[in-house]
Order: sequence, then structure tokens, then C-alpha cells
Amino acid sequence: MRQGRLVATGAMLAFCLFALWQSLLLSLTDRLGPGPGFFPFWLALIGIVLSLALLVSIWREPRPATDSSTEEVRILPHGWGALRCFAIIGLLAAVTIAMELAGFRLAMLVFNAALVIALGERRWWLIALFAALGSFGVYYVFTTWLDVLLPTGQFGV
Amino acid sequence: MEALGHLLQGFAAALTPGYLLYAFVGCMLGTLIGVLPGLGPAAGTAILIPLTFSLDATGAIIMLCAIYYGAMYGGTITSVLINVPGEAASVVTCIDGHQMAKQGRAGSALGIAAIGSFVGGTLATVALVAVAMPLASLALKFGPAEFFALMVAGLCLVVGLAGNNMLAALLMTVIGLLFAMIGVDPVRGAPRFTFGVEELYDGIGFVPVVMGLFGVAELLLAAEKRQTHMVEAELKSWMPTGAECRQSVGAIGRGTVVGFVLGLIPGVGAIVPTFMAYVLEKRVSKTPERFGKGAIEGVASAETANNAYANASMVPLLALGIPSSPTIAVLMGAFIVNGITPGPFLFKEQPALVWTVIASFFVGNALLLILNLPLVGLWAKLLKIPFSYMCAGVLIFCVIGAYGLKQSLFDVWVMLGFGILGYLLRKLDFPIAPAILALILGPMMEKSLRTTLEISGGSFAIFLDRPVALALLAIPVIVIAFLLFKPRSLAPLRESDIE
Repeated sequence: MRQGRLVATGAMLAFCLFALWQSLLLSLTDRLGPGPGFFPFWLALIGIVLSLALLVSIWREPRPATDSSTEEVRILPHGWGALRCFAIIGLLAAVTIAMELAGFRLAMLVFNAALVIALGERRWWLIALFAALGSFGVYYVFTTWLDVLLPTGQFGV
Repeated sequence: MEALGHLLQGFAAALTPGYLLYAFVGCMLGTLIGVLPGLGPAAGTAILIPLTFSLDATGAIIMLCAIYYGAMYGGTITSVLINVPGEAASVVTCIDGHQMAKQGRAGSALGIAAIGSFVGGTLATVALVAVAMPLASLALKFGPAEFFALMVAGLCLVVGLAGNNMLAALLMTVIGLLFAMIGVDPVRGAPRFTFGVEELYDGIGFVPVVMGLFGVAELLLAAEKRQTHMVEAELKSWMPTGAECRQSVGAIGRGTVVGFVLGLIPGVGAIVPTFMAYVLEKRVSKTPERFGKGAIEGVASAETANNAYANASMVPLLALGIPSSPTIAVLMGAFIVNGITPGPFLFKEQPALVWTVIASFFVGNALLLILNLPLVGLWAKLLKIPFSYMCAGVLIFCVIGAYGLKQSLFDVWVMLGFGILGYLLRKLDFPIAPAILALILGPMMEKSLRTTLEISGGSFAIFLDRPVALALLAIPVIVIAFLLFKPRSLAPLRESDIE
């Protein structure tokens, strides 16, 4: 936990430093008053001070009795939990790419089936029913009744 | 009197079949979201935003508000039946509610929770009607300096509630504000931090961010822990007895007052009023030893305070444009998506909308009571939905919500990115609420500050010349000083404190 918090705070410090650099490329003040870089500049500066203060505060926290490798395992998912998390992230990324090419209905059909299987469902008829309703059914409801435009893909499906 | 006239007109609109249907659907969906453990009101309201894309602004807001207070009630069902709070505010309900369920009195617990929620929500809305308009009229006298100070104070109160994690909360606020800077500069119109990416010119979309930080992150956290199937509790009757109702009257009254007062203060999470109402009830009880063993007053006080808080927290949003919690920030995002800026001008410029929405709170509370008493058994059955289907269903809504607003797949990537970020931040104990509030308030804060400095010719001394702004800016200083030097006995409330 402590190590993870140090890394996360370090990342936020880097983000604030980057924001500071970027805000300096914009004008801080102009003829009328504060320019586009004014607010982000001060925010980034405050962020840097807070990140450093937090880094020091975490660094000074007493170290836990367990060794760091065990500690890290608690922050990152592990075992079956990790597989389920990666399945969700991977499939969400895949469906986002696939939607542009194959359209919402086909991409979501495969996504729904793959996700429920990855999360432990094995009844094929239920998987098929859910995948169809969650793709073609949802598409119909959202596009016809709720006027929400959803991607149709390159095959017009 | 003027407010009453507006409210009557609001009722005339809110009771039309269309708006009644939106309130009904919102209450149903909100209760469903509240019932499903792991999905709180913020996540629920965020993922259901796509359902309102095609509605007019008033209809969309009515439905989303109904989802919010529906979810606040829905969490009670799981707390009572399986000792799993559907959302954080229902943690306190578990203490006596589940004990009552074990004694075969689950119906009484759920019944009194529904009655308490109705009374608390309705009375809080009456108070909202009385308070909101004068507060909005007062805020109309505010200039940009006062608005900037008000937003700083609101953010700092939220940060203050982070307790020992205050430094992290402050940093998260700054990170949220920096994310809000992406896009076109609100004063000069110059692009900032866009790196030539066309999709970033409109800024980072609020809807994909909240869907990621709440919806996707919640699912990742739930997926990591293996979800178990739920147990079925016995439901003999869904109405409390006359004696139980009499026992609960005082608890409902006190819960309403506690919930309403705390709902007015930005940053007070929903768990604080429920906890305080419970503790107060235990203190005033002649038989405090019954608490924790199935005392119906424990359920009544917590649930009443919960819904009174939910309705009262609309006061700072509608009258001042300040979201007091992440869920209210999501609602504020929905207002903005629909082209409405909450705040004092809302009462002046869109009275029909605001009073219809307020009237719909009364309607929604009544609908919740009608729906929840007889449908408790049905809601309990929903707990049997396997996690795999719930997860896939929620993700479908997340994808549609992120994509649907601007028809942009880029926003789906934003949602996924913020989902992973939200998951990691939650695991590392970084508070997300300040970042969400900062993201939504960021552009308005910047605009107010820069306008103020343009008026003063770049001098910060303008804040010293304006007593209201100065007083508001003193709040964060006092809050932070208090938290840094507070006695240990005043440590912030945590779920473990309830034990």
C-alpha cells in the first residue's frame, strides 16, 4: 500500500510538472488580465507542492511489518480476481475497436457472450439469449425509442 | 407565497402523464440500482444518463433525480435482507434492519424504512421549497468574486471530510481542476492541453469520466472479489404493526431534522446523517440496549435521515450551483449536458423547469412509497441476478452513455482509462469525490476568478474589499486549520465507528 501510494503520488507530481510546463507555453497574462495559462499555472504549482508534501508524509509513515512483495499483491488484482479484471478491461478495449469496424450490434453480441463466459457463466442458451438481447435488443431500444445514435460499422450492421 | 404559486404550477406540470412516467421509471430504475450491491447512487445515476438523451431537459432531470432518491431507498433492501448495504448510506440500516430480518420482521423493517423515507424526503422537500428561493435571491447579489469564493468553500468542505487523508484529497482536487482545464479556454477561446487531438477541444467529457470512475471502477473492484449468490430472507408481511409505527414516530421526526440540516452542508456524505440520526436515537431512547438487536427506531431514524439528506442536498445545487456530493455532481453534469446551469439564475431564468423538478420530488417520494411497500418481494428476487450478467448489463450502459452523447468512440476510451484510474485510486485510498466535484466546478471557477481579476486589473486585493467573498474564503482556512489541529476525539466518522 505504502509503495503503491508513493508511486501514485509520484505520477501525480509528474502530471503537475507536465501541466506546469504546458501552462508556461500559454500566456499567463495579457492586455485584459489573466491569460489562458494563468489558472492552470497556479493549479500546477499548488499540485506540485501538495504532491511533494504527500510524498514526504507517506515516506514518513511507519513501514508495515510484511515485506513489500506481499503488500503489492494486495493493491494489484491477483489470481482469479486478476483474470476477471483483465477480461473486463481487455474486452472493453476490444469492443471499442470492434464497434468502429463491425458496428454496435455485432461487436456487442460477441462482447456480451465473451464477458459472461469469462465471468463464469456456462449455460449456452442463456449466454446466447443475453448476448442477443444485450446487442440487437438494446440497439433497437436505444435507436428506435430513445433516439440515441449508435455505430453501425463498415458492413452497415 | 410566491414559491407556493410556482410550486402549484410545478405540480400541474409534474403530474402530466409524461413526467409522471419519467418519475415512475426513474424510481424503479433507482431502486433496482440501489438493490444491486456495489452500484451506489452516483454510479447508478451516471450509467443511466443515456436513457435521458432523447428526453426534454425537464423530463431528463426528473428521471435522473428519481433515480437518485430511488437508489437511496433501494440500498435499504439489501441491508435488511442480506446485511449487505446497496450503497454507503445504508450501512447503518444493517445494524438493526438485518437483526429484524433474522427475527422474521424483515417486512416491518422495510415497511418502516419506506414510510420513513417518504416522510423524511417529503418534509425535506417542503423545507427546500421554503429555503431555496430566498437563498437563490441572496446569491443573485453575488458577483464573480463571491461565486469563486463560494466554489472554493464548497470544494474545501468536501476535502475537509476526507479527514486524515486531507492532503491526498487536496491533491485530488487539484488534479480534477487540471483535467477541467483541457479544452478551449472559457474566457479567450484559445485551445489548451489539446495536443492537436480534435476530440479534446470540447474538454474531457464529464459523462465518460464519471462512468469510468464510478461504473467501470466499481465493477473492477467487484470482479476482483468473487461475488457470491444472495440468500433469501423470509418476508411474512410488508407492513409494520401499529405499535412499531408508534415507536418510530419520534425517530422519523428527529431523522428528518438531522438529514435536512446536514444535507445543506456541502461535503457531508450520506453516511454521516444516517449515523448521527442513529446515535441521537440511541441517546434519547429509554431502552438503548435494544439498539443493535432489532430496534425499529434504529431503522426508521437512519432511513429517514438518509432520504431527508438526499432531498436537502438539492438546495445547494439548485440555489447556489454547488454540488455537495459526487451523486449531486453527476446530477449537475446532467443539468449541464441538457443546457441548464444550476444556480441562482435558474429560479429567475427557468422557473418552470426548476419548480416542476421540485414538485416531482414530492411525486417521486410518493411513488417510492407506493412502489416499495408491495414490491419488496420482487426487489429481493433481483438479488439472485448473477454477477456476470449484472456486470455485462452495466457495461452496455456505460459504453452507450460514453459514446451516445457525442457519438465519439474516443469518449469510450476516456471511460475505460478513467475506469482503470478509478480502480487504482480506490485501491490506494485516494478519495475520488473531490476530483469529480473539481472537474465539474473547474471551468466555472476559472471563469469567475479571471473575470474578478479583470475587474480589479489583476489585483487579488478585490477579495478584501468584498466581505461576503472574504468570509467565504475564510471557510477553507478555518476547515483546514481545524482539521490540522483538531482533538483526536473529533476524528471523522468511518464505517467502523458504527460497530
